[in-house]
Amino acid sequence: MVGETSVGRILKHAAAVAAVLLVLLPVYWMVNMSFKGRSEFTARPPTLVVEEPTTANYRDLLVEQRFDRYGRNSLVVALIAASLAVTIGTLAAYGLSRFRLPKNINYHLLFTMLTVRMFPPIVTIVPLFVYYRELGLLDTRLGLGLVHAFTELPLVIWMMIGFFRDIPRDMEEAALVDGDNRLQVLRKIAIPLAAPGLAATFILVFISSWNEFLLALVLTESNAQTLPIAVAGQITQYQVKYGNIMAAGVLTTLPVLVLALLAQRHLTRGLAVGGVTG
Amino acid sequence: MATEARAARFTDEAPARAPWWERNLAWLLVAPTVIMFVLFAFIPSLTAIRYAFSRVRLTRAGITQEFIRFENFERAFDDPIVREAVGITLRWVGVVTLAEVGLGLLLALLMTQNIRWRALFTSLLIIPIIMPPVSVAIAWFFMYEINFGVFNYLLGEVGVSPVRWLSDVDYALYAMMAVDVWQATPFTFLLLYAGLLALPRDPYEAAAIDGATPWQIFRTVTLPLLAPILLVVTLLRVIDAARIFDKIWIMTQGGPGTSAYTMTLNIYIQGFRNLDFGYSSALSFLFQIVLIVIATVYVKRVMADYAAPRD
Repeated sequence: MVGETSVGRILKHAAAVAAVLLVLLPVYWMVNMSFKGRSEFTARPPTLVVEEPTTANYRDLLVEQRFDRYGRNSLVVALIAASLAVTIGTLAAYGLSRFRLPKNINYHLLFTMLTVRMFPPIVTIVPLFVYYRELGLLDTRLGLGLVHAFTELPLVIWMMIGFFRDIPRDMEEAALVDGDNRLQVLRKIAIPLAAPGLAATFILVFISSWNEFLLALVLTESNAQTLPIAVAGQITQYQVKYGNIMAAGVLTTLPVLVLALLAQRHLTRGLAVGGVTG
Repeated sequence: MATEARAARFTDEAPARAPWWERNLAWLLVAPTVIMFVLFAFIPSLTAIRYAFSRVRLTRAGITQEFIRFENFERAFDDPIVREAVGITLRWVGVVTLAEVGLGLLLALLMTQNIRWRALFTSLLIIPIIMPPVSVAIAWFFMYEINFGVFNYLLGEVGVSPVRWLSDVDYALYAMMAVDVWQATPFTFLLLYAGLLALPRDPYEAAAIDGATPWQIFRTVTLPLLAPILLVVTLLRVIDAARIFDKIWIMTQGGPGTSAYTMTLNIYIQGFRNLDFGYSSALSFLFQIVLIVIATVYVKRVMADYAAPRD
């Protein structure tokens, strides 16, 4: 900017740093608390930097409480959801971006799916619970994975339509002229060219499923319980295992943080149809 | 021309000699999505509507339904907890949306300035977006803790007596709003930041030549240009804020008392605590009618971009 004073520059940077610190404070606090032993955790005043760091919380959480089984549940559910949603959604996105169905179905289908994304899951949760109970899908990882796949389908379709649109059509049409059929064109040209977008979409769906709370709360109990529900369950049990809760919070966050780093470039496009956390 | 012939061939019908699946490929590609929609949205919605007009009982053998006309709805309109939940939800949506869009805009304007380490700052700022709400909720839960929480410690340092953040009716809802603002402001920031970066440069140069002040530039150039994105972000936040459940459920289960019962929380409690599926469905039916209006406006906005001709 022209004529900017150095005071202005310093103020701007101070504001930016303050915002970053505000964002990082709760994250730091969670990590800090997770390494505190039982007495230090409830110390007054609280120690701002852990004084006697211990991994006891993590050990206790993983060995005594066997928290890894919830982690495995979350992993399997998220993988089912991401694989299914990405497969089904990519096919639909390709169909919608390359073909024109009669009666403006393209528009109506996309409209309907985006509207679905905007509906709160609470609306259909009672019927789903009843069906799942009868079908034996209640408290199974497959059952939850299927619902998550559906709720994330709009995100996949929306993102993949964008990526497919970015691919120049000439290449696909040239392949058609060369005698490939339309499915071969999708497999050999469109999918490889959209691969980075596909990976980012997979990651975003994975994160959404990993973070999801309400559906997991209703549709799982002991067998298929996911991490968020298990962690939340700890808070109401008034034992003194506070440290474990914080360690669980850290362990639940770590995988999504790593994954988000990989997909960061495409985050904005995905967010246009809603938060990754729902 | 050759290219035109090719282009025509791709969007047109496949040649008659092509196998049936290739001629109907478009239908086959969207079929799985349609099937998922029917199974997970359409049929459950019909069932939910039927439940809304029934007394539903969950027994060991299965489910029993008895048609009771509008009884569930009449009960909903007389229910003081529902009235309270409507008020709480409106207050929640109003406060968090305003705060999140306002702060997000400020932050976006700040980060488009000449700031050093901008890429690093932006990466750090968006961490809350992807964090599991459960981790966010428990981190704040312990910061709000009365005896050893960091907030009361800081208050104590300046001589203010401890506040019962999550167990005082006057504070709990607002304390939880702050958590939502913390997690969602980076989301509004990121979308508005991307929007600001994509704005055309010319109007700014023209304004600079005219000698406009920064405030004038913001009011007459930035704001009008950014308005469509601001609207989309605001609608998106309204829709998502209205369905708030996880953070409140984890931190206070809707308490103290019923002071943080939002619509979704109340529907959940009616359905899965009191096992009153009929009443719960009637409430969610009413909730959906309100949201469908906002959602439609939003989707129309987003779709306008999709329908616009490209290339």
